Amino acid sequence: MEELVLELKQRIIDALNLEEMTPEDIETEAPLFGEGLGLDSIDALELIVLLEKNYGIRLANPAEGKEIFKSVASIAAYVNEHRTK
Amino acid sequence: MTYCISDHIISPLGTTSEQNFQAVLAGQSALCRYEGRWGLPEPFTASLFSDEQWASLMIDGLTRFESLVVQSVRGAIGHIDVSDSRTVLILATTKANIDLLQHGGPVDDAVYPGHAAVRIAQTLGFTTQPIVVCNACISGVAALVLAQRLLDAGCYDRAVVCGADVQNRFTVSGFQSLKAVSDEPCRPFDLERLGLNLGEAAATMVLVRRRPAQSWPMTLMASAVRNDAYHVSSPSKNGEGAYLALRAIGACEYSDRLAFVNAHGTATMFNDQMESVAIERAGLAQVPVNGLKGYFGHTMGAAGVFETVISMHALRHHRVLGTRGFEERGVSGKIRLSAEHLDISEQKFCKDAFVKMISGFGGGNAALLMSRRDDLTRQDPILPQMRTTHSIVLTPECVAIDGVEQAMSETGDALITWLYKTRMGDYPKFYKMDPLARLALVASDLLLQAEGAERFVANSDRGVILFNHSSSLIADRQYLASIDGDEGFFPSPSVFVYTLPNLTVGEIAMRNHYHGETSFYILPHRDDTAMQQVQRASLLDPSTRSLLTGWVDYDSPNSFTAEMYIIEADFEAGGHTPPALRATSPNLGEDQPSSPSKLEGVPEGRGRVSLTNNEK
Repeated sequence: MEELVLELKQRIIDALNLEEMTPEDIETEAPLFGEGLGLDSIDALELIVLLEKNYGIRLANPAEGKEIFKSVASIAAYVNEHRTK
Repeated sequence: MTYCISDHIISPLGTTSEQNFQAVLAGQSALCRYEGRWGLPEPFTASLFSDEQWASLMIDGLTRFESLVVQSVRGAIGHIDVSDSRTVLILATTKANIDLLQHGGPVDDAVYPGHAAVRIAQTLGFTTQPIVVCNACISGVAALVLAQRLLDAGCYDRAVVCGADVQNRFTVSGFQSLKAVSDEPCRPFDLERLGLNLGEAAATMVLVRRRPAQSWPMTLMASAVRNDAYHVSSPSKNGEGAYLALRAIGACEYSDRLAFVNAHGTATMFNDQMESVAIERAGLAQVPVNGLKGYFGHTMGAAGVFETVISMHALRHHRVLGTRGFEERGVSGKIRLSAEHLDISEQKFCKDAFVKMISGFGGGNAALLMSRRDDLTRQDPILPQMRTTHSIVLTPECVAIDGVEQAMSETGDALITWLYKTRMGDYPKFYKMDPLARLALVASDLLLQAEGAERFVANSDRGVILFNHSSSLIADRQYLASIDGDEGFFPSPSVFVYTLPNLTVGEIAMRNHYHGETSFYILPHRDDTAMQQVQRASLLDPSTRSLLTGWVDYDSPNSFTAEMYIIEADFEAGGHTPPALRATSPNLGEDQPSSPSKLEGVPEGRGRVSLTNNEK
């Protein structure tokens, strides 16, 4: 799980162009949206692409993302359970 | 004054304005569901031309997009000679010939919208240089705004404005990646709305500055563009830009005469909600509101012209067209909506105008006011002179601010990032932008630092107007790689939004809290005279006191140019007088309204249209 968390952090940094950040800067349990990293609605859509591209997870309804993308920890838990690759 | 003397529409519903209007009146819709089209994995509903329709539209030697434009413009101009130097072609489009762009292949000249415009103009016999308005979804209305200004400024006597876009794998996958597309027919303003449907069409209006001989010509009374300065793809929650645009055209003062407000009404959750708030805020809650996307989808660059033409025909026929797909109001703004057409013949003497509003990516909002009333004339406005106060040149090898070359330790694309880090450094959104927007943002920031005025204060008196040649080619190629590249089909929403070059002006507006006009124009080649013409005409917007403007083009990491400057309107030198609109010869016909005007409340200001009723 720890490995997946680290991998996710790096992929989030790459996919969302969080240029001046390193995985250590992202707290696993901290909220990603709102105050956290200051992500916006397009970032949320890009996270949907990230899940599909890397883990074969398709979110048909973007509203599902709200719970899943709360934190890196919640994404990791979801990926762990639903990944197809 | 600006008059519309002719119009034309080609859509899957018909090949003339009248056919399209009658189809809408009969409640027809061109929306169909497509599965597997263009190899797209997700189904979608759209308004597309059939193969048979395309076969009858195509012109030898021209692309689908170009053929469509030429057919529509021909339909509008009829026997009008457009070869004189006083007639200009203004083309509104978001993606023009983007379907010709191949992943990894060489770039066909026709991919550049300015080149496509030249081929179109030459085919039609124009001899002046065409201008392409590329302002995302508001392009159509923005093109009418530009036309009105260029006519008011005396640059031309006649402007032929055509809005057009065609659909393809690129555009549909992009909107799907933004989760904005519904696979069912759209339901504007409805509680159950699920997103938009795209459409393809071309629509044309011929505008002139001298009153035509025909009785009761449609008069374009006012038009404006304003920015939310909020987010590049989400509209402002309180409809700020749309509200400001409505206010700028005097919609509230004219509300008693409005037959309807034709909204953008895309049927996305956020657009329709925002528009309802803006309409209510602008004091138009009592005016019927409609949206036309349920008939022919969102036709992108065509939408503003297309829906204005349909609205003109509806006004002439004393109808408020119903909003197809609407059942129950699902927006918080208390606006008047109806799925059914309304017959307003009984009010035809007092309801003689309509408002068209439209919003799009980059935070842009535009609105225009058209009327059948023509007992009003306006003095020709006198243009202010332009005074350049600060300038910047930024290329891969050089940065010069106000003519002074700066010492740099980087070159090429790395120079832009280096400048961001050393001169800005506090705006991480920079890294999310595409190279063109980064270039424009950094250049604008250095320019504003040189100006030295207080920063980040919300205002509406500075316009941001940029020009280029390559449109958003760099982002276009990047997006294409995400759908046709080696890694498979993973359309990137964050790249797709930057395939609209007006995101440059949107980003500058957002960072600096500029709510004034934002516009992006594409020219066949760098042409300072053409740019100055547009810039000076833009100062006819009564709110605009200065412009952040110039040329910004990005071909590759080693080939880009930003040459931007701040222009102040100089009224001393120009002797600007407000374009007062006043009644002259009482031209009362049987169709003429006789009710008292409610227009005294129009606030006076620089260039504000002032109205008096001829009965007073």
